[in-house]
Amino acid sequence: MSPESSSAVPENRRGPRQLLPQGSQGRNFGVPEPDYDPSAPEDLTILPVGSPATVRSYVRELLRRHRRTFALLIVVNTVAVVASMVGPRLLGGVVDDLAAGEQELQLGRITALFALALVVQTVFTQQVRLRGAMLGEEMLADLREDFLVRSVGLPPSVLERAGTGDLLSRITTDIDRLADAMRKGVPQLAIGLVWTALLVAALCITAPPLALAVLIALPVLFVSCRWYFRRAPHAYRAEAAGYAAVAAALAETVDAGRTVEAHRLGTRRVALSERRVAEWTAWERRTLWLRTVLFPAINLSNMLIMGGVLLLGGVFVLQGWIGVGQLTTGALLAQMLVEPVGLILRWYDELQVAQVSLARLVGVREIEQEAGSGAAPGGKEVRASEVRFGYRADVDVLHGVTLEVTPGSRVALVGPSGAGKSTLGRLLAGIYGPRRGEVTLGGTELSELPAEEVRRHVALVNQEHHVFVGTLRDNLLLARQNADDAELWAALGAVDADDWVRGLADGLDSEVGSGGLTVTPAQAQQIALARLVLADPHTLVLDEATSLLDPRAARHLERSLAQVLQGRTVVAIAHRLHTAHDADVIAVVEDGRISELGSHETLVAANGPYAALWRSWHG
Amino acid sequence: MQIRDLPYSDPGTPDVRSGLRLLLWLGRKQWGGQLKALGWGVLQLASIASFPAVAGLAVTAVVHRSGSDLALAGVAMAVVTVAVTVGDTMLHRVAVTNWITAAARIQQLLARRTAALGATLTRRVAAGEVVAVSTGDIERIGWCVEAVSRFSAALLTTLGVCAALVAYQPQLGLLACAGMLALALTVLPLLPKATRRAEAQRERAGRATELAADTVAGLRVLRGIGGEDLFLTRYRQASQQVRHAAVRTARMWSFIEALQVALPGLLLVGVVWYGTRLALDGHIAVGELVMVYGAISFLLLPLQLFGEFAMSYSFSRPSAARAARVLGLRRPGEEPGAQADDEQRAAASYGAGPREGLYDPLTGLHAPAARLTAVVCGDPDAAGRLAERLGGHPASAADAPAVGAEAVGAEAVGAATAGVATAGAPDGNASAGQQADASVPPSVLLNGVPLDTLPLEEARAAVLVQDKDPVLLSGTLGELLNVPSSGRIGAAEALNAAQCTDVLGALVQGTPDAAGDPMRARITERGRSLSGGQRQRLALARSLITDPEVLVVDEPTSAVDSHTEARIARELAELRAGRTTVVFSSSPLLLDRADRVVFVPGAAVAATGTHRQLLRSDPAYRAVVTREPQHHADASREQVRARTNQRDQRAQTHQRAQTEGVESA
Repeated sequence: MSPESSSAVPENRRGPRQLLPQGSQGRNFGVPEPDYDPSAPEDLTILPVGSPATVRSYVRELLRRHRRTFALLIVVNTVAVVASMVGPRLLGGVVDDLAAGEQELQLGRITALFALALVVQTVFTQQVRLRGAMLGEEMLADLREDFLVRSVGLPPSVLERAGTGDLLSRITTDIDRLADAMRKGVPQLAIGLVWTALLVAALCITAPPLALAVLIALPVLFVSCRWYFRRAPHAYRAEAAGYAAVAAALAETVDAGRTVEAHRLGTRRVALSERRVAEWTAWERRTLWLRTVLFPAINLSNMLIMGGVLLLGGVFVLQGWIGVGQLTTGALLAQMLVEPVGLILRWYDELQVAQVSLARLVGVREIEQEAGSGAAPGGKEVRASEVRFGYRADVDVLHGVTLEVTPGSRVALVGPSGAGKSTLGRLLAGIYGPRRGEVTLGGTELSELPAEEVRRHVALVNQEHHVFVGTLRDNLLLARQNADDAELWAALGAVDADDWVRGLADGLDSEVGSGGLTVTPAQAQQIALARLVLADPHTLVLDEATSLLDPRAARHLERSLAQVLQGRTVVAIAHRLHTAHDADVIAVVEDGRISELGSHETLVAANGPYAALWRSWHG
Repeated sequence: MQIRDLPYSDPGTPDVRSGLRLLLWLGRKQWGGQLKALGWGVLQLASIASFPAVAGLAVTAVVHRSGSDLALAGVAMAVVTVAVTVGDTMLHRVAVTNWITAAARIQQLLARRTAALGATLTRRVAAGEVVAVSTGDIERIGWCVEAVSRFSAALLTTLGVCAALVAYQPQLGLLACAGMLALALTVLPLLPKATRRAEAQRERAGRATELAADTVAGLRVLRGIGGEDLFLTRYRQASQQVRHAAVRTARMWSFIEALQVALPGLLLVGVVWYGTRLALDGHIAVGELVMVYGAISFLLLPLQLFGEFAMSYSFSRPSAARAARVLGLRRPGEEPGAQADDEQRAAASYGAGPREGLYDPLTGLHAPAARLTAVVCGDPDAAGRLAERLGGHPASAADAPAVGAEAVGAEAVGAATAGVATAGAPDGNASAGQQADASVPPSVLLNGVPLDTLPLEEARAAVLVQDKDPVLLSGTLGELLNVPSSGRIGAAEALNAAQCTDVLGALVQGTPDAAGDPMRARITERGRSLSGGQRQRLALARSLITDPEVLVVDEPTSAVDSHTEARIARELAELRAGRTTVVFSSSPLLLDRADRVVFVPGAAVAATGTHRQLLRSDPAYRAVVTREPQHHADASREQVRARTNQRDQRAQTHQRAQTEGVESA
């Protein structure tokens, strides 16, 4: 009679669950935990995960924020439950009277009362369901919005180092996992608890001795639940992660279709998918075993309550301690207990599993937001002096680099991969602060300035030309939020993009990205450049800005880029020598040091590494 | 079938003619499990249904003041408890097993289909459908297939209880039966609508998630340029819209729930009223009244199961249709009809052509055996198409994966995926290219043999085409590099040639548990944790390990800095010595290392020679390669552009013709 048996099958596996390392548990009987745990983290989790204290305080805050909705839910739920108990109570009375041999029942009055209770119960059940959903949805909306608010406030250095992948998986997967827990779990658990408490109370009021039956069942329920809940959350997380891995393997095969076919990896991909299926189903067996233990225990305790009420009650009636009517009411109330108990068990489970996702979302709150000093730079020249920097405490990538970028000049950084060009560029753009030495903008330490101030002066332009889903206008406005259409068109014109934008049916209001217009990589880059025109920083750091583009598209874009660069200071990390050729100063970076510095002519004349490369390039 | 026996060694051949047929096929494939679920389901429900009888027995015993009858009721209670427990647990086990085996079967079928479709699946619509089936649809399909058994069990038990009620107490029984029928008929029609609403809300939520994901994905841009507030406001609006939509959906469900309280409640009121009158008249005993009351309460359970099944069916119908559609996708050549194309293409290529090396009759490109040939194209897209052609069996030639003609909605996929990009016909027979869809471009020849006539696997083994955007599959580096290969070139050698030392360092740093062994270091999906240049170099290393007879690489080093590129060019030439290699590139560092350079500015080969020769003799070539704005090059560049434009137009006309063809078909 457990409600899970009818609803748990689809519900239990909706939405993948997540990881939590736990000690190994009972391996001696039944289905032990499979060895492979798909929920064990494979990549480094770069951003912090919230501590239990942070999670608790966040949940408290969330409940405080929604206490009115919560209170309302409890009230309507109480009314609905009380109304639902009228039927059994009335039937008990009828049975009493009938057993006493009454011939004249006020049947009309009883029926009317019953019907009235039914109306109340109907109205309030509808309200319970609605209020529950409202509470859940409000909390869920808060959660996802809070997360995004925190995310957009993260320091650029954190984003640069951690990438956006971890954040992305938190806002998609973890929110998804929390959705059911928030919109159903929290309200349903509250409902179930109130419901159970009221039923037990009603049982006690109807006939206190009948409450004994509940006491008999309690140990069984307690022991089995303890056993189950110690093992279940981890197993469900692994199971869900395993199921997600099945889909992920397939998605990758689809995505890599060309590569898979070219390298003849088809059979291997099928084998991988089947391995994932085996890993996933191994955990399904484990959770199925856990339920195989739990279900009989719950059934047993349900039956103990009902049977106990019936038989104990029968004996009590025979002894004359209670009436037949009380017995009837008690038996029906005991039957009603099955549902809320099932509700509590089911959602308690889900909430335990969801807790990990919540910790990941809340973890972003633990990242320190940067503190700006409020100072403003007193000039436009960027200067690095004796800069040492490394991503890890013990390994430096830059070993004492000094570089002066005079306003209006063009500096090219060239050198082999891994020499530290990009790192130097990021320091000059104020994303990282040096470990030793200093990077200054107009005499002010760059790393002390908040991102909002830095970007008014310096912008890093990399290959990431993200075009946001939305209108073209939104995509441009982000750079200067109060810009009018004329300014937007001027910016597009400056990068040679006005023609194709004018060609669009909706012009600036055209939707781009998912479902809307698909922009080519070259157009995406033009949009990125137009943003720069609007943002108007005086110094640009270009990192591989055009390197991933096709040469022909790149040539067209270089004209757009040239327009943007006009009148600005430029530090270009040059992968291609023709870019370097035009620079005022070329810095050859090797092994975290600047090994050569000078104009193209000087360096070619110096006959060093740069000259050698130039000759092989130019033929 | 037990869960422990999964995965299936052979998931079978699905019936993909329609969604319903697929569901039926799945059910048929596991009929044993379905029958078991039916059996346990009947036991579970029947024993639950008999609980009211026991309760009635107990009340009767008490009313009659009979201790022994009460003891009898106790024994019956114990029996019912055991039966419920066993039935419930076993039903759950069998039902979950049915669900999982059905889901696993489709996952396996999908994996096989995807692998067979390979490159032809790169069109976004079809690819998106496959992923949608795998992530969302399978759960619902499994649910529906599994729910059939429980539904049947509920139906049988309900009929049984109704029959028993009628036999036992005809008037009350008939009242109950009529009530049940009315209940089923009132609630069921509402479910499809509610389901649709739930679906729509899910979609809206999906869009909000997409918006959030998009904002996070572009966070570096936002932090670097500004606009955080703009996007936060936008997301808040979307998030609140989702909330409102969800509450609207919940309102609908809340009414259904209220209905499910009110209607059975009315029935109960009726039963109490009528039953009490019967009891007053002495027609039934008090215990019987309790029993009937309990039986009616019980009937709510099967009623819920009916609702669940109706819901699972309306949720899974579109899912099953999509799954049937995806499983019905076929690559050209897999279907008997498409073979004619291949033969035609093969026939067209017989005749002229060198007997050694790789030769493309369409452009006249010839890559001699055991040489490093570099190809410079005027148009990067044309380069990609040419590279693909060189491998034979081009996926974009017949472009849309041919769809099992009978599959439901196949036209939709077909039409959507038919963004045709056939390689343009050479200048000479432009009219031929324009005039008919029937004209199939001739096959590339490998040592005089048309590649398209070889079986796919063989063609891929002979010629490896590394496209412009090769995908790094996630896993350890060792797994990444463990590809089918000749075995001649080791991983270390290839990694060294592709200048991957710094990549290995970065990988080891990113995987602390690799214990310093780069082969155990993990590569995340698509190698996202690596830079563009690092990804390119790993992909090149992988292709070098394969060591195919012919290696075609498209812009392998476009994101690599000049220093490193120069070294790669040298190592590549050395490692591939004695093998046929074709490199599409416009970088002088690579071109300078090639034995010969072929210049394909438009649709056909314009010049052949060494890099230095061409630099001197061909201004158009010089302009493309050095990117120097040369006055004397301008004219020829214009020429190239004009030619390209012409070809583009032709391709467009061709495409239009094909699209129309698809639409009218």
